[in-house]
Amino acid sequence: MRTQEAPAVDTAGLGKRYGSLWALQDCSITVPAGRVTALIGPNGAGKTTLLKILAGLSRPSAGEVTVLGRRPGQDAGFLDSIGYLAQDIPLYRRLTADDHIRIFARLNRHWDAAAAEDRLAALNIPVSRPVGSLSGGQRAQVGLSLALAKQPRLLLLDEPVAALDPLARREFLAALAEAAAEGGPAVILSSHLLHDLERVCDYLILLSASRTQLCDSIDNVIATHRVLIGPRQKPPAGVTVVKATNAARQSRLLARLDGPVLDPSWDVHEVGLEDIVLGYMGEAAGAGNGNLTAIGEAS
Amino acid sequence: MNTLMWRLNRSQARTSAAALAALAVLLLITGIAMAGTYHGFLGTCGSAHTCADGHSLLFRSDGVLNAVVYATMAVPLLFGLFWGAPLLAREFEAGTHSLAWTQGVTRRRWLAGTAGWALVAAALWGAALSALVSWWRLPENAVGIPYPRFDTGTFDIQGLVPVAYSVFAVALGIAAGALFRRLLPAMATTLAVFVGLRFAIAEYLRPHYMTPLTKMLPLAAMAPGAPSAVPAGSWVIGPLSAIGPNGQNHGNAIQFSFMPAACRSLGPGQWVPCLAAHGFHSQVIYQPATRFWAFQGIEAGIFVVLAAALITLTWRLVLTRDA
Repeated sequence: MRTQEAPAVDTAGLGKRYGSLWALQDCSITVPAGRVTALIGPNGAGKTTLLKILAGLSRPSAGEVTVLGRRPGQDAGFLDSIGYLAQDIPLYRRLTADDHIRIFARLNRHWDAAAAEDRLAALNIPVSRPVGSLSGGQRAQVGLSLALAKQPRLLLLDEPVAALDPLARREFLAALAEAAAEGGPAVILSSHLLHDLERVCDYLILLSASRTQLCDSIDNVIATHRVLIGPRQKPPAGVTVVKATNAARQSRLLARLDGPVLDPSWDVHEVGLEDIVLGYMGEAAGAGNGNLTAIGEAS
Repeated sequence: MNTLMWRLNRSQARTSAAALAALAVLLLITGIAMAGTYHGFLGTCGSAHTCADGHSLLFRSDGVLNAVVYATMAVPLLFGLFWGAPLLAREFEAGTHSLAWTQGVTRRRWLAGTAGWALVAAALWGAALSALVSWWRLPENAVGIPYPRFDTGTFDIQGLVPVAYSVFAVALGIAAGALFRRLLPAMATTLAVFVGLRFAIAEYLRPHYMTPLTKMLPLAAMAPGAPSAVPAGSWVIGPLSAIGPNGQNHGNAIQFSFMPAACRSLGPGQWVPCLAAHGFHSQVIYQPATRFWAFQGIEAGIFVVLAAALITLTWRLVLTRDA
């Protein structure tokens, strides 16, 4: 059914340049509707840039982008279909959550004030105090409730849990998972750590060094990656090496398989998502920046 | 949009309304008293030929209240600093622009609502302030001494121009906020540009809106105790000066060396008739009182056009730059 719908996000060769520096380059991704997508990458990988382009806040310097079949921009129809929560959860600090709900009702056509109020009431968040006096976790919940009250078809969240303590983080992700359940919007949320998002996401975009490293369902990513251990020689046919660690006489390869590995001199081991992600991030960063490689190898 | 603007700015609006109301009360009380004094005086001064002394009779010649009225000249700047500059700069600093720009209204509508209300408020507040001050100064304007309403300073606090200054100041603050996206640079720019431009235009441009008139007078008009040679209510641009037969402007004193030999030998009491006989006269250059509203219109027009240019710049910055 869902494959009939326009993909939530479809980009080709998307890039964004600030001055002479590319913040995002050659980004070609397709995210089907209805998925909860983790957008992972180290700081500075272009996650915020990508989300801003998808939200129509920023114009790409190169490439094509469609969101829910439309080009992001300044038209009310597009703005109605997306919800966006920027990093650091910007809200009008002197207004209360109730103020936000009432005022934004006048700025949106499909506003569900009751759902937002119920959600905040269920979480015991004081709705008649200025949001500036709320805790970070409470503000994040207010931000999420406002974004959901628009009844968007795509929800874009930029590092929503980065500043939260572990409990608030868990509560936020639980609220998000509930909202994204059957019939909810497609969600893309970014983080520099996969660990935060693994439980709620079923799709993965991996950005590193301003480029897309992976864009696939998490099941597929796990199914197609293996660790190969074998003699120190050239890798077997039918695999793409993501990252190679060479010891004196043997090699440990993190590889994407294009088919079965038939060469008996290689031992094939399953590998967890986190190790796959770190493998990609370490390798891409190693091209430019040494200290991120160290993080990848430490795990 | 309107509700959002009101909720974000209502405390400022209330503070400004309270300040305006306090000024109104002060000026209404003193103004009504002054009008009474003035009308009583007008009834008697005509027969006694003392109408020119009217100013000293009006009690506001004690300085404080006059200073308060002149201080209203700074009010448009305050609008620019505290309404205009924060309007967009605060949104960018707090990041709330990205919240506003992803609601179901386009940036175009958001900006029209936000900037539109600020400009309307500036015009309304400027008009209320100007009406109050213009009304308060009616008796003094009528007496016209020592400061006719056309003079630099009194011109700037009445009539149309306070409205135009207010709209311009707010437009300037908004544009600076859109450009720098930070409050302090926006405020500093608003302050510098507003003060600089107001001064430059009042000082260097305003005297030339229309070609000033020159009035030729006998030299005796410069003698001490002569009745004022300046047409009532006019704005004097070139003060009363002695002009030699060759057209040389000697200012308010003719140096001995420029006097014809025939006059030098005479006693000081004979100088004026002697110089007059040798072709000296005096002149005053001025803008006549009847041009007051034309000048108000021209100056207000200049600032409204500048405000429109700044709003156009803001429009482009907000609609084309990334969040």
